[in-house]
Amino acid sequence: MGRILASQPSCKMPLSRRQLLRTASCGAGYVALAGLASAAPDLTPKLTRVRPRARRVIFLNMSGGPAQLDLLDYKPQVGKKPHLGSVFPFQKRGQSGLWMSDLLPNLARHADKLCVLNGMTADTSIHAQSMLQLHTGDRLRPAPSMGSWVAYGLGTENQNLPGFISFNTAKPAEYSSAHLPPVYGGTPIGVNGEDMSRATISDIESAHLDASLKRRQLDLIQRMNHSHLATRADDAQLEGVIETLELGFRMQIAAPGLLDLSSESAATQARYQVGRNFAEGTCRPSDFGRQCLLARRFCEAGVRFIELSHGSWDQHNDHRRDLSANCASTDGPIAALLDDLDERGLLEDTLVVWGGEFGRPGLSPDKDNDKTGHQHRAFTFWMAGGGVKAGHVHGATDETGSNVVEGAVHFRDLHATILHLLGLDHENLAIVSGGRRIRLTGLQGGKVVREILA
Amino acid sequence: MLARRMARLSLQLIPCSLILAVTLGTGAAVSWAGEMTPEQRTFFENKIRPALVEHCYECHSVGAKKIGGKLLLDSPAEMLGGGESGPALVPGVPDESLIIQALRYDGVEMPPDQPLPEPVVRDFETWVKLGAPDPRENSPATAAAPSAIDPAALWAWQPVENPRPPAVREEAWPRGEIDSWILARLEAEQLTPAPDADARTLVRRLSFDLTGLPPAPEQVKAVAEGQLSIPDLVDALLASPHYGERWGRHWLDVARYAESNGNDGLSRNPSFPHAWRYRDYVIASFNDDVPFDRFIREQLAGDLLPASSPSQRDRQLIATGFLAVGAKPAKAMNDNFDLDVVADQIHVVGQGLLGMTVGCARCHDHKTDPISTREYYGLAGIFKSTETLWGAAAQQKLSAPQTDLHQLKAAPPSPPRPELSTVFASYTPRRAQEKAAFPHAPDAALAMGVREAKKIADSVIHVGGETKRTGPVAPRSVLEACAVPDLTPPVFSPENSGRLELARWISDPRNPLTARVMVNRIWLHLLGRGLVPTPDDFGATGERPSHPELLDHLATRFVTEGWSVKRLIRAIVLSRTYQLASTDRMEKDEARADRLRTLFGQHLRRRLDAEALRDAVLATTGALDPQPERGSLIQQRDFLVNELPPLHQPSRHRSVYLLMLRNSMPPELTPFNLPDGTAVTGQRDESTLATQALFLLNNAFMREQAAQLASDLPGRPEVTDLTAVKARLAQAYARAFQRSPLEDEVERDVGFLKEIDLTLVSSIPSASARHARAWEIYGQALLSSNEFRYVD
Repeated sequence: MGRILASQPSCKMPLSRRQLLRTASCGAGYVALAGLASAAPDLTPKLTRVRPRARRVIFLNMSGGPAQLDLLDYKPQVGKKPHLGSVFPFQKRGQSGLWMSDLLPNLARHADKLCVLNGMTADTSIHAQSMLQLHTGDRLRPAPSMGSWVAYGLGTENQNLPGFISFNTAKPAEYSSAHLPPVYGGTPIGVNGEDMSRATISDIESAHLDASLKRRQLDLIQRMNHSHLATRADDAQLEGVIETLELGFRMQIAAPGLLDLSSESAATQARYQVGRNFAEGTCRPSDFGRQCLLARRFCEAGVRFIELSHGSWDQHNDHRRDLSANCASTDGPIAALLDDLDERGLLEDTLVVWGGEFGRPGLSPDKDNDKTGHQHRAFTFWMAGGGVKAGHVHGATDETGSNVVEGAVHFRDLHATILHLLGLDHENLAIVSGGRRIRLTGLQGGKVVREILA
Repeated sequence: MLARRMARLSLQLIPCSLILAVTLGTGAAVSWAGEMTPEQRTFFENKIRPALVEHCYECHSVGAKKIGGKLLLDSPAEMLGGGESGPALVPGVPDESLIIQALRYDGVEMPPDQPLPEPVVRDFETWVKLGAPDPRENSPATAAAPSAIDPAALWAWQPVENPRPPAVREEAWPRGEIDSWILARLEAEQLTPAPDADARTLVRRLSFDLTGLPPAPEQVKAVAEGQLSIPDLVDALLASPHYGERWGRHWLDVARYAESNGNDGLSRNPSFPHAWRYRDYVIASFNDDVPFDRFIREQLAGDLLPASSPSQRDRQLIATGFLAVGAKPAKAMNDNFDLDVVADQIHVVGQGLLGMTVGCARCHDHKTDPISTREYYGLAGIFKSTETLWGAAAQQKLSAPQTDLHQLKAAPPSPPRPELSTVFASYTPRRAQEKAAFPHAPDAALAMGVREAKKIADSVIHVGGETKRTGPVAPRSVLEACAVPDLTPPVFSPENSGRLELARWISDPRNPLTARVMVNRIWLHLLGRGLVPTPDDFGATGERPSHPELLDHLATRFVTEGWSVKRLIRAIVLSRTYQLASTDRMEKDEARADRLRTLFGQHLRRRLDAEALRDAVLATTGALDPQPERGSLIQQRDFLVNELPPLHQPSRHRSVYLLMLRNSMPPELTPFNLPDGTAVTGQRDESTLATQALFLLNNAFMREQAAQLASDLPGRPEVTDLTAVKARLAQAYARAFQRSPLEDEVERDVGFLKEIDLTLVSSIPSASARHARAWEIYGQALLSSNEFRYVD
């Protein structure tokens, strides 16, 4: 068992290079490196003790609470009295006969790849809190985001790129490394409300100098820094700056190419619906096609955790119109992403996760009613790829879809399962901060949903 | 409440001894006195008891390690007596029974990890409906709830002492009491303090620490040559208006200051077009050295303090912005909105002024500190009796209802700024704005803040922090653990909110927390690490002071010297401890070297923070406009920040005056751990990230400033005339590092300039343009170097 080191984000005592190495070598695997990376980032790939089924995650964050009863949890009317349920038509899809709404014609092609969790359950129907809990396990206090834990546990396969990238996120708390060293925080590409068709990493590109001049300029900075360091022996912070200057320099070579979609054929861009910035009602323009295509490219480049975001699924008033719009914005791009991941053999070890902070209650067909609210007791996620059963449904709700009757999965369980699939032990992926032991699954801990493991 | 419940109980013909149990509450040694049929007994034994044992006793029985919510479920009387949240059940009425609500996960959620299966929950409902027949005996004694508070964790609640300075072996070393405490501790661990810092290092350190700006090269020279003494330099720096800009910004971090609400959870981010007045108030207060106790009273209750002039009245109203500039979650679909506003206020008062995470007690008694939910709602009563004035909230009622603002009397009108006129002329709100509920003249001088609410009342306890779940009334109160002799808790009247009483209690010299928390904040900004390393948490989860006596010495001194921040800063920076070198070449053992730094035996090298870096760049390149910026780019503009492109404009003023919009902070500051304005931030993180490298290497601000430096250095940018190049390098080093370049540095830098110049020959034929370009590239390197960005 590795030592769990205290991390005190508010107090950064310089650690010497030698200390760093010593500490790293006496700890086992991922738990040993807490608190150090602020001085010297350690993003090198790490071994896990559990055999990983997935090597990276693409999280399709559907913000606002998608209406699961009109997407994947089919609730037709039964009995004589009309009741809450699905109002859009459904069909059985694929060999597995997965019930899917007609709003998802493209995803329907991938029915046999999906593992649908119909028994998701959350603690609260307050957007911000549930969203935070989905990301960090804690709905009230700042805590490290899922992607940060994954980057912390596994490092990144590409030293020219950060381990965690977050597209179109609403707020920093959702991709924050919080108690973990900041190097594991998400690198945001576009914040919510920004035009996603142009979103990029700040200052990643600059044509003010050609590459060789930039390199010579950096060499001068590094020579200055090394002379400065020579009389300030063993200051790991100063060393850390020297290292991150190099990483930043490498990023500006690797990332702009990845962000530039001009190398993708027009056909591919059309398949992903890149640039289709559709907006109607609650459905905000998110250029989800560009997000999905970039996700594939970053995934290929070795980034561990990529989060995409689309919203808002919070259609209170015009349920039918806005839900259709949200589906139209995301269905094609997601299907294209799954196509490419599959075709390139990436789906095997890439875990795709789709879902939002909660779901919505169904509508009653007898009424001319188009209003829904929030429902946190029962909603739906789906996963595909890396180590989960395909064409599988786990969990079930009652006749009206209001309550889970079987296979309940809390966010804590979802987190435990995702970490497990990556070969990380959710019980022990932890750090101590301010006297508290912090882990993604919180005090209560989660349970790995073994029923969905392939 | 009880009467209503009892009436209902009587109607249900529940045996009267049960009513007795309810009335007597916890500890009444009675057992279920009704006639229990064998079926009922079997039902309990088969359905209820096993579930209780399996799922509830772990936290709710006498044998539990820690009793959850002070609720025991292992006897009938305990269940009826209940815990923190009241009785666990109301016999006969499942819907009114907390245990049923909890099992249904309705507001309270038990068991916490996952709900019990539906059939089990239905069994409990049936059982309660039957009147909760319970064959268990009541234990004669109620288990005492084990105390979770570690006595050592209570150090901060103890009265501040005025300890006598310790004896030290090296009697010649200390310059005063501060040094005696530091040295005594070092000697006890056989550690030797580092040597004194040299004059250049010290002047640079003092200048950045006191004003956030680099020293003028002449100051360094004057000190080095003995024409200017360090105490005189310190006095000059403290008298500079830049002092308030630096130290005011430290306070704005604590006050989670920003000029917009931040994403309310519905992606709406309403502007705070008058928040800048609070910023200016804070800067002026530090410059004027307003006694800190008064500063507290103004911020909590400035509207209730007497004022002798309209401008003083304005100033005090603006001060209450402290309670109003917080981030709020949206009002829409949020029954807890009012409680959320109060929570922010309790949070900033608790952590910001008292160093206590009082906010934790909103939903449950504090797990580690002696703060109960009742005390939380005792404070909440004060703030619920207060009206918070945040303004129009961009006229978006889904985000927040509109409120009035303080009307200032003496302040001049402040019309909207012209810089953003075009942007706002073409702004059509995507979300329709409601009518202004409180019309003001378009250039009216207004301020955010608080005033007394129309209704003054104590608050009820809101179980789990939820508005709809109410418990008993918690009379307005302060924190009881502050049981310091002579510090009498205020008496709250039905006539006013009690904010002034709270402010007086917090700023009372005998309050053990207030002065300790503030002197620790001052210490950490000067020494790089607090005597208590967790400046916003003096409770059990915080760290203990490394030098408790020194902390008390400083707190005592602070109060007796009239709560003067400047005097305390002066005392600390004139100590020998502050003036030590950050480079110790004597201590080779790593662990001991670390220990030496922890115990302040060696100064901590620090990175310039976001504002200091930008300001230092501007000062070095000669671009800085030292005048305060007037007002704010967004003054008088009510809009949703999220609906507009970034509004930041190029500025040459100091960074403290830049537009601080939550979720859209100035891009020149964000890469370097600028706080996001959502939490009390006593100490900023100092992270080292690749995105910072990208900023230094590529950001337009850095490039422009490099060009500015290249042209601002005296003489023409020259690369061939060695004498001229050397003269320019000497100037550049003096400005950037306050020293002369070494010979090998000159050689290196001259070589670099020549090499770059040669490389550029083909692309830039004009020699003068080419030389200027080479100097730009060089200048950016200088401004990006660690020596520029770190202070020894």
